[in-house]
Amino acid sequence: MALRDVLMAATIIMFVAAGAIFSRRFWNIYQVMKKSRPTNRSDRLGERLTSTFIQVFAHKRMLKIRYSGVLHLFIFSGFVVLLIDVVGSILQLFVAGFSIGPVLGMIVDIWVCLVLIGVVMAIYQRAVIKPERYHGSDETDGYIILGMITMIVIGIAIHESFYPYAAIPVFGVKSAPIGAMEFLAYGLSHLWATLGWTAPRAASIGYAVGYAMDILVIWIFLAYLPYSKHLHVFLAIPNIFVRKMRPPGELVPSPVPEEGIAIRSFGDLSWKDVMDLYTCTECGRCQAVCPAHAAGQALSPKMIILELREALKKELAGGEPIPLAGGVVSQEELWACTTCGACMEACPVFIEHVPKIVGMRAALLEDGEIDKSAQKVLVGWDRQGNSFGQPLKKRPQWTKGLDVAIKDARREPVDWLWFVGDFASYDPRLQDLTRLVAQLLQRAEVDFGILYDGESNSGNDALRIGEFGLFEALAQKNLAKLEEAQYNMIFTTDPHSLNALKNEYVKYGFDRPVKHYTEAFVDLIEGGKFDLKPLGIRATYHDPCYLGRWNRIFDAPRELIKRVGVDLVEMPRHGENSFCCGAGGGRIWMEEVGIKERPADQRIKEALTLEGVTHFVVACPKDVAMFTAAVASTGNEGRLRVVDVAELLAEAAGLGIPDKLVATR
Amino acid sequence: MRILVLTKSVPDLVEELVLDEDSGELLHDEMTYVPSEWDDHAVEEALLIKEDSNADVTVLAVDTGDVDNMLFTALAKGADRAIKLQGDFDLSTSNRKRAQAIAHYVKENPYDLILSGVQAIDDIDGQIPAMVAGLLGMPHASVVTDVRLDGDRVHFHQEYGGGLQAELASQTPVVLGIQAARKPPRYASIAKVRQMMKSSVLEEVEVAVEEVPELEIRRFFKPVAAGHAEMIDGDAEEVAERIVSILKERNLVRG
Ligand code: SF4
Ligand code: SF4
Repeated sequence: MALRDVLMAATIIMFVAAGAIFSRRFWNIYQVMKKSRPTNRSDRLGERLTSTFIQVFAHKRMLKIRYSGVLHLFIFSGFVVLLIDVVGSILQLFVAGFSIGPVLGMIVDIWVCLVLIGVVMAIYQRAVIKPERYHGSDETDGYIILGMITMIVIGIAIHESFYPYAAIPVFGVKSAPIGAMEFLAYGLSHLWATLGWTAPRAASIGYAVGYAMDILVIWIFLAYLPYSKHLHVFLAIPNIFVRKMRPPGELVPSPVPEEGIAIRSFGDLSWKDVMDLYTCTECGRCQAVCPAHAAGQALSPKMIILELREALKKELAGGEPIPLAGGVVSQEELWACTTCGACMEACPVFIEHVPKIVGMRAALLEDGEIDKSAQKVLVGWDRQGNSFGQPLKKRPQWTKGLDVAIKDARREPVDWLWFVGDFASYDPRLQDLTRLVAQLLQRAEVDFGILYDGESNSGNDALRIGEFGLFEALAQKNLAKLEEAQYNMIFTTDPHSLNALKNEYVKYGFDRPVKHYTEAFVDLIEGGKFDLKPLGIRATYHDPCYLGRWNRIFDAPRELIKRVGVDLVEMPRHGENSFCCGAGGGRIWMEEVGIKERPADQRIKEALTLEGVTHFVVACPKDVAMFTAAVASTGNEGRLRVVDVAELLAEAAGLGIPDKLVATR
Repeated sequence: MRILVLTKSVPDLVEELVLDEDSGELLHDEMTYVPSEWDDHAVEEALLIKEDSNADVTVLAVDTGDVDNMLFTALAKGADRAIKLQGDFDLSTSNRKRAQAIAHYVKENPYDLILSGVQAIDDIDGQIPAMVAGLLGMPHASVVTDVRLDGDRVHFHQEYGGGLQAELASQTPVVLGIQAARKPPRYASIAKVRQMMKSSVLEEVEVAVEEVPELEIRRFFKPVAAGHAEMIDGDAEEVAERIVSILKERNLVRG
């Protein structure tokens, strides 16, 4: 049989075989997705398209790590360009005399080089730089794929360069010599000539080897992909397209599954969750930003995804199903999460870790498994509506020390309704601060009121601990009281309450405007309500996860800080890349197991690397508590002061404030 | 093996106890009631025994008007059945009368092992389990931990004076007052409790209780604060000096 027939037969047979393996695999995955829970991912189509475009072609998230982003861009764009080659090479084999022409040929050559550069960079990264984020990933798989890619692009150059010599013996057509535009093939073909490899036999072998390295390896690649992390070659773009477009802070969108949010088996995942598992590229970017991982705890968001994927593969191969919560993923991993969302922010393919973690927590909780201190808090919320184990009646006790009484919004209409939150109400360390906020509002002549003992915890943390039923009960209680009150806007100092009011109560039809105090105070300053004298200090600002990442409020606190004459210096990790204090997701009440260095301590050290910064500004009551403790435990009391933005404003506005709160002294 | 767990609800001490100062009566209706902490441990111990050895767990409460949630919670945790004893009871019903009602019920419905919290905030001397055992002529032990089944016998631990631990054994039926379960009581999620309310029923059993000898509570009163705290002002030196002198005054240091 002629060589050409052999190559044609091999191309067809291998394509059919690879296609069959590939489709079977996809069919299996599709079957799992079909049986999983529904989720609506076809809202806001226009925005979906544009953001997919930005993430895919401009590599927005990928380029957050410059080196990896660039190398990936080389290889990724190579895949697009190499499609030209696949079509061209196959047509050349099947249609004698076909050529893609010099221009496309040149483009292919350029990308062959770029891909090779990318591959070298990738190997250097894996073998020499060795980022921690790869820890736990399948490195062999990475090298196999890099090897295949190298074979393919080298194969392209080889068969292209032998083609002029092999055209007659293999195809029986004459071919013009390669032009200098196709520089790679051109150079190589000269090399073959010097080596004397242009005789029909040598040229045929050369061509066949090149073709096999190119097209036949591509088919092997196709068959191998679905069994490797490189399935993302096919799934990444669709997965980015079906990303969550609803407000980021909404953990549980409506309609809530009737059977609850617990994830016990793969059937309890949504189809997007299943797709997430197969899309994960094992890049470890999520692991690199995870505060629990950085603290030395058992959790890595990457490993959660990989553990689930492995378990699903085993189950599909006929293995006995293992319970996901506490089995496939350990309890320690699940309870270590602060729900800070850094993983989801970092993931280049928009995998959603937090809903999966919370869903599995819910399963543990239904079986009665939970950290015992956190359990007390849940019981406290259920009975008294607060996490402090204090009577409901004591909720408004912090108002006692004020000169002017605060209106009861349940009895009389107010302009702003202040949702105070547990920490600001009950924590004796924070009550001074809470009173200060009240005085600021009074100074600005805001007509405001509170719900007194009608307020309960917002349920934000209960939901994130996995206790949906309790969240719902708390939400209903608050909504009933809010219903009674007359107000134009809700004002809150607590980002966790803000998140619940803004994003989680929507399922019960609540849609009143909610503002964080940083936003509201900026408005008041704009309205000329304060006479401010610049403070002249140098400070850095910590973005709380539930204000920044989950609610995208980055500017208001910064604006406020600048307005009071503070020289703001950013920490390396700020804005959407802020590093969690470690308190969220119920962690603040749980025992600290396996923690080598607390996230809050690490954060304080990060702030201390900044030149001349004397103040650490926060905008969340929990942060005041967390970071004050961290400054003390790292022995930096003399060097850094934790202050709330309200303290800065009060000071700049010349309010008579309690001694222990005076920020600039 | 059939296990019965006796449970009751008690005023929530997180909130204030409401007392009519004049009459010295507790105003039951103005207080919130929660499951007694020790009974939670008894339920937990029963569930742990069930996990070890396939026992059947029934929880029981005297219907004083607000026990449904408590019983559904026990069902949500894994109890098999819940019984509400109905009759002439309310929140002020004495422990003596409650014990009598329980004894009547158990006479008609035999169990092998009866667990109860060792005490409750309104039963500090742990009368209920002891009285139930007495009325039924069963063996009884109090302040018990670590209950295990061994064939038709029950093994358990009890602490003696001087920290001495004893392992005791008893034939069944037996009544035990549980000090603490082997593990902290498990959590019952709100959703699961609600699901129980929908999917299961509390068995209501009518019991008539004859006149029993009871004590009369004449009045409650809050403790009168005795003594007061002294705030020590001054700088570190002065404060330290004052502390030393107080310790000396009270003969708490030598020299
Ligand atoms: S949410 Fe935060 S703590 Fe939880 S896995 Fe993601 S990065 Fe880690
Ligand atoms: S989940 Fe996303 S960020 Fe984490 S390893 Fe997978 S692809 Fe990378």
